[in-house]
Amino acid sequence: MHINPKQEIRHSKFAMFGIGMLLFLLIIAIFGPLLTPYQPNSQTPFAFESPSFNHWLGTNHVGQDILSQLIYGARTSLLVGFLTALLATILSAIIGTSTALAGGLYDKIVMRIVDAFIVIPAIIVIILVAAYLKPNLLVLILLLALLGWQGGARTIRAQALSLKEMGHISAARSFGASNLYIIFRHILPDLVPILLMGFIYGVRRAVFMEAGLAFLGIADPTTVSWGMMMHEALDFCYLNVWRWWLIPPGVALSLTILSVTGIGHTLEGALDPRLRREANA
Amino acid sequence: MLKLEALEVSYGEKKILNGIDLELKDGESLAVIGESGAGKTTLALSLMRLVDGSVKGKILFNGLDLLSLPEEAINELRGNRIAWAPQNSNNTLNPVHTILNQVAESITEHKLKNRREAGKQASILLSSFGIPVNRFSAYPHQLSGGEQQRVLLAIASANQPELLILDEPISSLDAPARAEVIELLKHTNQDCSFIVTTHDISTAAKLADKVAILYAGRIVELGLSGEVLSRPRHPYTRGLIRCYPDMTTGKDLQGIKGVMDRSVNGCSFHPRCTQAIEICRKEIPPLRLIQGRHIACHRGGIIPLLSTKNLSKRFDSLLAVDAVKITIEGGETLALVGESGSGKTTLAKLIMGLIEPTEGEIYLEDSLVSNRGKDFYRQVQMIFQNPGESLSHRLSVLELVRESLDIQEIGARDERDRLVRQVLREVELPDSEAFLNEYPHHLSAGEMQRVTIARALVLEPRLLIADEPVAFLDSSLQAKILKLLLKLQEQRGLSLLFITHDIAVARKISDRIAVMKDGKIVEQGPATKIITSPGHAYTRKLSQAALDLSLED
Repeated sequence: MHINPKQEIRHSKFAMFGIGMLLFLLIIAIFGPLLTPYQPNSQTPFAFESPSFNHWLGTNHVGQDILSQLIYGARTSLLVGFLTALLATILSAIIGTSTALAGGLYDKIVMRIVDAFIVIPAIIVIILVAAYLKPNLLVLILLLALLGWQGGARTIRAQALSLKEMGHISAARSFGASNLYIIFRHILPDLVPILLMGFIYGVRRAVFMEAGLAFLGIADPTTVSWGMMMHEALDFCYLNVWRWWLIPPGVALSLTILSVTGIGHTLEGALDPRLRREANA
Repeated sequence: MLKLEALEVSYGEKKILNGIDLELKDGESLAVIGESGAGKTTLALSLMRLVDGSVKGKILFNGLDLLSLPEEAINELRGNRIAWAPQNSNNTLNPVHTILNQVAESITEHKLKNRREAGKQASILLSSFGIPVNRFSAYPHQLSGGEQQRVLLAIASANQPELLILDEPISSLDAPARAEVIELLKHTNQDCSFIVTTHDISTAAKLADKVAILYAGRIVELGLSGEVLSRPRHPYTRGLIRCYPDMTTGKDLQGIKGVMDRSVNGCSFHPRCTQAIEICRKEIPPLRLIQGRHIACHRGGIIPLLSTKNLSKRFDSLLAVDAVKITIEGGETLALVGESGSGKTTLAKLIMGLIEPTEGEIYLEDSLVSNRGKDFYRQVQMIFQNPGESLSHRLSVLELVRESLDIQEIGARDERDRLVRQVLREVELPDSEAFLNEYPHHLSAGEMQRVTIARALVLEPRLLIADEPVAFLDSSLQAKILKLLLKLQEQRGLSLLFITHDIAVARKISDRIAVMKDGKIVEQGPATKIITSPGHAYTRKLSQAALDLSLED
């Protein structure tokens, strides 16, 4: 089965939307400081303003510009999302392939650890650990990555186990190839679509988790993020102002997750022939 | 009765015989086998002291040193106690005498009988050699080649010699005449010793008790003829036998690479030998007694390249490989035959270290294989069952063939690419840029199989395990791949472990066959024997089930 992820994505409108949206968000996040009219944390005397020419999306309770906060929030979300997913994917690739190829006691021990992690709901662990550690952004990313590789590792191990038995890998072995060579030269290239999908879902999960934690108020309060914006806005729900304040981060978060899902969904369809529509073939 | 000690014969600078040691007891017969130019005729002539080159060493005939005897004494011996039947080349008989006279002459010359008596005895002799009475007064040119040969033999045995030297006695005869003359020779010379020189292995086998294999003026192997010919131990002897067509072997004829060259240093066979090592290039191996056979080889004859002892593999309740003991010798093909599920591929994978054995050992040239490093895989390579599967779809032909070199870190990039092109030509594939950049799914089945062979061979292994290499191919491709493997074996001295379910294919390619059933080797032996007289019921079943083109009535 030769899967070409590029081609699959190009044929799906959902995925194209996802890519477009994600690119748009990335550009905004990267060029954020150039685009924002105000510093996201600088306070003005004008609190609770509705959208106006000066403040396109209005201001919050301490007079901070919501558009600026939204743009900076995109930076946080995407940074956490991509970095966490990248770390988790690398970890799952290393652990999945190494357990599959090495086998033995190492495989048994690592897989039991994975089982344990999968049984424990990650969100509760993170809430508890975060409550104790009061993590800054980097620690949060590490924490999310450490809790996010297990499912991927299991999938990759299963795939690597079946790849391991394939003729071309036996052939490479019969030339005297080491496990490392086999992983890098033969197994990883074959796993690219799966790794890509794991990465995409990792992004989605991390973006969502980061927003959720901030929303619950367990994140670093000095970091501007969509979750934090919603957390703060919610305190003022008895006032009429929350609409201009709560809806923008909510919509941004939804669009981000939707676009990532779009890409992931298409890739998943491509990988599993049962989900493949005839028209796409 | 006859003993040669360090016999050397040279014509000018050219040494024809080089330190021949031989011993022949009363009534024993010895065949000297060798390709043309090996020195057979010179050996025969030197026993009669008829060579015109310079002769060194000793020839002791019943204690007499033939080389130091005066000329008259030699004349007395020649044709009387030592008789010689030359190769019949149409001019050895005197054209102006009748054949009866020629036989009688050799009798009168030595036994001093009167002519009448000699004539009488000659006619008895001639008729015993199958010449009809009405031909006795014929002249040689009136006889057929076969009849002339018989006359020569009659002359040689006229005086009941103690030693009869037959130089290519029957190579000019047709097959039925040959059999007849062999019978005659055996019959008439029951108590005489004889030496037969021949390039014809089957004559040697039928006539002589012992054979000596002569190569470039030296004896390379000496032993009882049945043993030497059924189980040659010197690489040259095996090569000779492989060249020889007979009705019982099925294997295609294979030559020996190169040509005979007397001027090489060290063992004169080493340029053509498939297991030559450093010492073979430097020193001349003496003829030594090794395990009941005289062999002149630094390596003690054909080496056992890979052997397994008590090798077993258990998958849960299934004993897939059960205490297998096989040996693959250098340069030979061992066919492993059995139906699918008999454990053939498992055995191959055990040898390759792709799966771990439950029990047993594997030896590569007598050293136990435990941790297979890169150097093991440089010596032992495998062609996998399904060529399409064993080629990664991501790699081009160049990358595929180069992969083994990359892994083994052989040479620089340029060197590797050069080796790839070279091996592709060797397996009869194009080495063009376009072909090198092809991906496997664009190749035909035959091309894919050749690519898998090429990538195994580029490491120059000594043993190639071929797991059903032709099972996926149609018969015309199958034939080509089999020929290719045989050619590579001849050129590189490759040992082959050829795994197949088809005993008909095994017959065409193997020297020996091992039959496998339910993980056990039920029978193994020379291919000829397994095919013609299978000992195990399962082998018979396989043979009967094999492809057969003959039509039922």
